[in-house]
Parts: sequence; C-alpha cells; structure tokens
Amino acid sequence: MSAVAPTKPPLWRDVRALRVAGQILFAIAVVLVAREIWLNLAYNLQKIGVELGFGFLDRRAGFGIGEGITYSPNDTYRDALLVGLVNTLRVAAPGLVAASLLGLIVGVGRLSPNWLVRKMAQVYVEALRNTPVLMVIVILYVGVILPLPPIGGGFSIPGLFFLSNRGSAVSTVRPEPAFLPWLGFVLVAGAVAWAVWRWRTQVNERTGEPHHRVLYALPAFFVVAVLGGVVVGGPLRLDIATLAEGGFNYEGGFNLSPEYFAVFFGLVLYTSAFIAEIIRGSIQAVSKGQKEAAEAMGLTPFQQLRFVVLPQAMRIAIPPLNSQYLNLTKNSTLGVIVGFPDLGNVAKTAINQSGGASYQIVLILVGSYLVLSLTISFFMNLINRAVTRKGAR
Amino acid sequence: MSGTERELRESQMVLGLEEEVVGATIPDEGLGLRAAPGKEPQTPAEWAKANLFSGPFNSVVTIVAGFVSAWTLYQLFKYVFISADWTILKVNARSYMTGRWPLEQMWRIWLCIYGIGLLAGIARGVLPLRFAISRRRVAGLVPVLGFALLVELYVVDTLLVHALLAGVVAVIGIGVWIGCTFGSAIKGKALLYAWIAAFPLVILVLRFFGGVSERLWGGFMVNLIVAVVAIVASFPIGVLLALGRRGSLPIIRLFSVNVIEIVRGAPLYTLLIFGVFVLPLMLPPGIGKPPNIILAMIVFTLFSSVYVAEIVRGGLQGVHEGQYEAARALGLPVRKIMRLVILPQALRSTIPAMISHFISLFKDTSLLATIAILELLRQARRASAALGFAGKSLEALLPAALLFWIVAFSMARWSQRLEKRLGVGER
Amino acid sequence: MTHGNGEHTGAHDMIVAEDVRKRFGDFDALRGVSTNVRAGEVVVIVGPSGSGKSTFIRTINRLERHDDGRIVVDGIELTDDIRNIEKIRSEIGMVFQSFNLFPHLSVMENITLAPRNVRRWPKKKAEEVATQLLERVGIPEQANKYPAQLSGGQQQRVAIARALAMQPKIMLFDEPTSALDPEMIKEVLDVMKELANTGMTMIVVTHEIGFAREVADRVLFFDSGELLEDATPDKFFTNPQHERTKLFLSQIL
Repeated sequence: MSAVAPTKPPLWRDVRALRVAGQILFAIAVVLVAREIWLNLAYNLQKIGVELGFGFLDRRAGFGIGEGITYSPNDTYRDALLVGLVNTLRVAAPGLVAASLLGLIVGVGRLSPNWLVRKMAQVYVEALRNTPVLMVIVILYVGVILPLPPIGGGFSIPGLFFLSNRGSAVSTVRPEPAFLPWLGFVLVAGAVAWAVWRWRTQVNERTGEPHHRVLYALPAFFVVAVLGGVVVGGPLRLDIATLAEGGFNYEGGFNLSPEYFAVFFGLVLYTSAFIAEIIRGSIQAVSKGQKEAAEAMGLTPFQQLRFVVLPQAMRIAIPPLNSQYLNLTKNSTLGVIVGFPDLGNVAKTAINQSGGASYQIVLILVGSYLVLSLTISFFMNLINRAVTRKGAR
Repeated sequence: MSGTERELRESQMVLGLEEEVVGATIPDEGLGLRAAPGKEPQTPAEWAKANLFSGPFNSVVTIVAGFVSAWTLYQLFKYVFISADWTILKVNARSYMTGRWPLEQMWRIWLCIYGIGLLAGIARGVLPLRFAISRRRVAGLVPVLGFALLVELYVVDTLLVHALLAGVVAVIGIGVWIGCTFGSAIKGKALLYAWIAAFPLVILVLRFFGGVSERLWGGFMVNLIVAVVAIVASFPIGVLLALGRRGSLPIIRLFSVNVIEIVRGAPLYTLLIFGVFVLPLMLPPGIGKPPNIILAMIVFTLFSSVYVAEIVRGGLQGVHEGQYEAARALGLPVRKIMRLVILPQALRSTIPAMISHFISLFKDTSLLATIAILELLRQARRASAALGFAGKSLEALLPAALLFWIVAFSMARWSQRLEKRLGVGER
Repeated sequence: MTHGNGEHTGAHDMIVAEDVRKRFGDFDALRGVSTNVRAGEVVVIVGPSGSGKSTFIRTINRLERHDDGRIVVDGIELTDDIRNIEKIRSEIGMVFQSFNLFPHLSVMENITLAPRNVRRWPKKKAEEVATQLLERVGIPEQANKYPAQLSGGQQQRVAIARALAMQPKIMLFDEPTSALDPEMIKEVLDVMKELANTGMTMIVVTHEIGFAREVADRVLFFDSGELLEDATPDKFFTNPQHERTKLFLSQIL
C-alpha cells in the first residue's frame, strides 16, 4: 500500500463509473424491450385463447406421425415431440458417420496421383457444394427414390432385404429378455480383448515381433461374447422382413421410409463434399518438411500417411469438422420438405394443432438443438484435446 | 523415368504434393539433380502415362473410373437431350424467375436489371484490369456461353425478350466502357454510395408508385432480393455484435455472446418457424401480421448477423494490439479508433469469409420454400404439379438446381480470384 | 517547430511520479517508483527485461492504469477522471518498439489522422505540418507511400513524425530501436538527438548506451519494479552506487 493515493475524480467524470453506468443503462434497455415483447406476446396469445405456460405438453396431441418410435395420436404433445427428436437422431447420427467416411474417401481421392480419379472427385465436390442442400434432398426424393419400382416389384432378396419406392426393409435381430445380462458379458468380452491388445503391444515392444493385435484381440472378443450368449440362453431373435397382407407394406425387419432415404442420402452426399475439402485441405496443410522427413526415413507411402501425415492432418481438421457435424445435425430438419417427421416438422404440426402454443414450442426447439450442438461440440473438443495433447504445441 | 524416380514422384503425390512436384528437382541415382518431367513440355502420350497409367494398380483404377464416368456422362446426355421433356421449363421460365408478377408490370423488373447491370459494368470498368484475361479462361467460357445461348433460344419465345436480354449485355458493356474512360474522375466513395442507394431504389421501383404487392413476388427474384437484403442489413448488426463480444464491458459482452451462440445453435428452419409463428405475436397489437416475406427477411437478417459477427470477430482478432495502443496514445477516442484504424483493417481481412458466407446465405434462401413463399424451388415443385406436367418433377427441378448452382459456383470462383488479388496487392 | 520549454533551466516539473505501484495479477510490476522529470530534460531508462521500465512509461500516458501512488503531468493529476486523461494524452507523444503505423493508410494519412480527428485541424493545415515534420525527420519524399513500402528505420521515423504532429510537450520512447536492423538504428537515433537538442522533454527506454551517454541528462536504472539508481550519465556509467546496477552494467558493457 502506498502512503500516497491517486485523487478520486468526481463520479460523473470517472472513467470507471462511466463504464459501469453504461452497462447498467444497457441492461435496463434490454430488460425494458424484453418486457415489452413479453407483454405483447401474452396479450396476443390470450386473444387467441392459448395458454401461456407449458401445460399443453400433457394434452392429447391428436395428430399422427409418419414414422418413428411407437406413437399414436392419443399420446401427448410431449410424446410427439420426443418422436420427432428421435427421428432427428435416427437421421443425424448415422449421417455423421456415413458423411465422414464418404468425405474421407473423396478427400483422399482429390489428392490421388490418378488424374481421372482427381477430376471425378473434383466434379463431385463442386457439384454438391454449390447446390442448396434442400434441393439435393428434393431431387433425390423426386428423381431417385420415388421412381424406384413399386412394392412387390422392387429389388429384393426374399427373407433378407427389400427395396422399392415405399422404402426398404431389412431382416434384422431384435433383443430378447436375456439381452441385458448378455450385455454384461459383452462388456467382459471387451475387457478381455483390451487386455489381449495390451499384452500383444507389450510383446511387440519387448521383442520386436509384429503384434498382430487385431488378429488376437478380435477373436478373443467374439469367443467370450458368443460364450456369454450361450450362457444366458439366446439374447437375440431373428426378425424377418416380409411383405404384409395385401402387398402394400413391409412387415417385420428394420424399415426405412423413402423420406428417410431422401433426407439421409441428401445430407450425407452434401456434407461429404464439405468434409472432403476439409480432409484435402488438412492433408495439404501438413508441412512439406514433414512429408520429406517421413520419406527420408524410408517409410512406405502408406506408412508415411499413417504415422506422419494423417495424425497431423487430423489435428488441423477437427475444428472445421466440428462445424460440419453441427451443420449436418441442423440440416436434418430440412426433411420437412419431403415430409420426414423430424423434430422441426413435428413442432410445426404441434403449433398448428395446439392452436398456437408457438413460443413455448419454439423454445423447446431452440433448446433441443442447442443441447445437440453442445453435445457434439463437447465430444469434438475431447477428441481435439486427446489429439493435441500427445505432442506438438 | 527410372523406377526410383517414379516411386519418389508417386509417393510425393500420395502425400498431396502433386501440385508442387511439377518443376521440382528429383535426384537421380548418383548423377546429380535433374529437372522433373514437368518442366519440359509433355506429349499427350507422356502425360497419359504419368497421370493415368503409371503403374498396374493405377491403370486398373483408370479403366474402372473411366467406365464409370463414361457411363454416367452417357446417361446424363441421354437424359438431358433425348428422354427429358423440357417444355415445362419453356412454359414456366417467367414464373421461375418472377413468380406471379403481372406481365404489365414487368418493365419495373427490367428497369432494375438494367440499372444494376450499368452499375456493375461501371464498377468493373473502374477497377484496374490487373490480370490479363488469359486465353484459357476465354476458352473455358465458350462452352458455357454456348450452352447459355442454347437455353435462351429454347426458352425465350418473343423477340421482345430476346432484345431485352441482348440489351442487358449491351448495357453492361456500356457500363464497362464508362468505367474505363471516366475511371479517374469517379471517386471510390461515389460508387459505393451509388451501390448503397441502388438497393432501396430497387425496392422502391418494385413495390411503390403503383408497384406490385409482395404477395405476388416470387421466383428466383425473391431468392436474390432476400439474400441481398439480409446481407446488407446484417452487416452493421454483425459488426456491433462482434465489437460487443470483444469489448471490455462485461454485461454487453454477455449479451452479445448469448445472442450469437443461441442463434447460431438453431437451424434456420427453426428460426423461420419462430419468424412466422412467434414474431408476429411479439409486435404491439396495433400492427397487423406482416406478410411472410417481410418476416422471412427479418429472420434471415438476424441469422446472417451472427455469422457476420463471428467473421468480423476473427478479423478483429487479426489486428495487432499495437494498433489500438498507438491510436490511444495519439489521443483518439474509442469510436474513432474503431472507425478509422481497427475496422478498416479487420474488415479487409474478412472479405473472403464474407463472400463465402454470402454464398451460403444465398443457397439458404431456398428454405423460403418451407414457409410457403414462392421462391425458385417452390415454383419448380408447383410447376410439376400443374395439369399436364405430372411426372415431370425432375425436369422441373433440375433447371432450378442448375440456376442455384451457376450463381453459387461463379461467386465461389470469383472469390478465389479475389483472394489471389488481395494477397498480391500492396495494402 | 519547438514546443515545450526550450531551456533546461526552470524548476518546472513536467512529470511527477510519487510512489507509483502497478500489479498484474500476482506480479508486482512497479513497486513504489518515485521520480521527477523537468521540462526539457532527457531521461534514459535502462534495466533488464521485466524490470518495469516499459510499464512505467506506459502508466504515464495511461496505456496502463497505475494502482497506487500519484502521477502528475504538467500540473494535471492522472486519475480516473476522463477529462484529465484526455488532456494528458494530448500532451504526450509515444513511439513504440514495433512502430505500430497504420498499414491501410499512407504515410501522410498516418501523420494527419490524429490532428484532423482530435484537434480538428483542416486537411490543408494538417498536411503542411506533416510535410514539415517529414522534412525534419529526413524523409519528405515518402509522403504518399504506404508503411509496407518503407524500411524499418523509415517507418520508425514516420512514427516519430506522427507523434510530433500532435505537438506534444513530452515524448515517450519505448525501445524505439530494438526492432531495427543495425544499419538503421543510427538514422532513428539521429532524429531523437535532434529532438532532444530542441528542448523536448523525453523519456527513452532503450539499450543504446551510446545514446544515453551523449544525450541524456539523467539515466535511471530499473530492476524488478524498483527505481534503483538515478544519476547523470557520467556518474552512472563510471561510478554506479547499487550492486545490481554494477551487475547489469557489467553484462552489457
């Protein structure tokens, strides 16, 4: 502390006081505007006769939903919105994976030594990047899915797989009561496989012998898992896909609607073009010196890619990839144009059906997508940290 | 090429160096350095060998890829020129572009097109032609122009429209000439103000003085207008949000961050639902429900602002701290510092990102279709629902998709060239 | 153009620093620095990095806010009073290690920006003054060039002209030659010498010992946030009092 202190200026000329005052004024302005908006909202809603709270969520919805988890119009609005959310996830989650894989292939193809492959990849990317994703979905729906042969005449492998303009049906497996205990065994199998993996890694480090980790770990996993299945007595049963009575529907198996296909492939194709460019850019961004050094070390091209280039390219790629994943998830709502009942579509129906409980539903919408975005970003951040922790910078 | 050289070149290419390999030196075994084949002109045969058939694996890939692309192209050509029935396009060309705009009011649209064409020509003429127009670029443009001419001849019936379209090209040319000859007399600021004034003028001409109500607006014109309105209006809002987010006043920063993150986290369709269902309820009771297109413009502006804010924020971060300090040391007040020193530098560096954002926004205007606005995509769908055109949905949609694609692709290419120029420029 | 007192006589204190303290989080950058600078004096500050020399001069024109103690510039106390801050800033010019010229403006525009926007001079007057200043620092022909087209030495001279355009009574220099290639240091130091000779009050943070010996009226030694030694150049370099001063001098001489 000093014996001498700076003089305090009068409040109205004090820089710090002014800053605080400015912020308080701003806050007051915001509050006033918000209050005005809320009053208008409340007044207008009351005029239409709509409640102000979220009570409507427990009311009977009264409208049907084309596809998704079990639901009937007698269920509540809350249930309806949940069905929409699940549909969004059904399309977004596999979509992210598929778009990433496709994008990776096309992205590497952009760097191929083969001119033809490079050009094809370039055409793919340029065509999709510059078309609105909504158009891609609509064109796929109208031009590819709907023109498929009608049910009964479409592509099929009876007992296994069907495809037509009514969608697809694939024979699948479904869980029996014994499924949960069996999951326990699966976890054990995973632990065993991991232990085998570590063992082989140590062997490799000690003796230089090729570890063949996958060759050892995978069979270990399967053996334990299958044994577990036998012990619990049949955790799964077959669900065969067939044509229903009257031949207008598929019964059994795992079904996907034509709308789903349109949205799914539309999203995947569109997003894969952007992911391809990210992959290409990040590989090219790995500095030339790195590639030359890797080469000088005598690594084969594949080894160079695997040990030097791709790990570094990944670090560069993660932030823009995060962006694209968020975009894909948000774009899933565009299925509304072909009638796919995702969260946004169901929400719109719900607003109309409930007579205008609009702001509440919009809040739910915004909140849901925020949560989805934050979750995806959170995981990408974890990956980012894992990838950057291990080394440079 | 010797075996070692070839492997070296291939492995370099796999790692993405193929652009750099041409002209690089590749060591020869023990005989010193020798220029890579790229430096000497290659015959087509040499090129084919290097790029397509350089190894057994590569050759197989080429053959397979060749079949696939040949088959695709064949199917494409067969569809476009033989099996598709394009009358739907011929009949609907006007509604694709302008929706249900009354025929007798078309002159307003033509007036706007001519005005903008003139301005654009002048702007192009004033800017120095720094890069000579290469032969390759002209050669690349010829098939494109040829195709455009073909489409135009097919779609347009009346001589009047042919003449008007030719007139647009002429007016642009006149603008370029004006810009070139009077370039020095025209100040940059004057041109900027002209562009800024053009924008409300267009709205004036189209809507007011006996103009057409926005309920009849439709087609591609709507996509363009909404995109331009959104981008122009969102710019100042975005800059303010960015400054708020980076500023030192915590409450304002909190506000800015939350607005940006919440709006960014929501899909545009969700925001449109908000705009159409909730926004009208938030207005004072005296005001009636505005037409959907106005609500859509507000939503698009809000949506665009937060992305502009993030872009500007990046630009602001790129300005050295020392610039602020020097300006403060000179005694400049904060708002002058921003206006005269910081923002000019920040914004210049954001130009490529801004253009990219504009392209995205333009593509996003297709979402107007989801709120019952008759923009291009919805027009296309509607066209195929009309009598006599059932089953022609693909023919209806493809031209619309192509139009979007051409605009987006051209802007992207232009942006790439602009980036190169800005990198080379003096400032 | 000469501003401020032309002579070194007069007991007029341009800058008074009393027990100035500054913390950055846990770190004490300035620990009770007290000194006076008279009108027309040239004070050179030396010391190891992190000793607080830059922080000290930056508190004088409020680029940093001092936490405790008093600073009085030309009779005006430097407090949170916004009016005082603006008045003080208009009397002080500053030259930075990294020049900080505005890259999007020409040399002429760089120099005339502040006079036109803060003092509201008409363009013509500002440009006349700017031209005279450019002549004074020796590069009148560069007026319409952009900073990126100039060498480091030229840029720093423009920075000096830019600071002088506001007709300050005090000039602060924060390691003005540290970012320059050796062959360009002399041209900048020459300008600073000329400035000193016309009677400008200057505080210079630098490592250029030659400049200190030739031009300084006093040399200050900072170490770990404290002002340890304050003497004329003769006494400072030949007979330093403090242990740490001797250590520092032995390392750089």
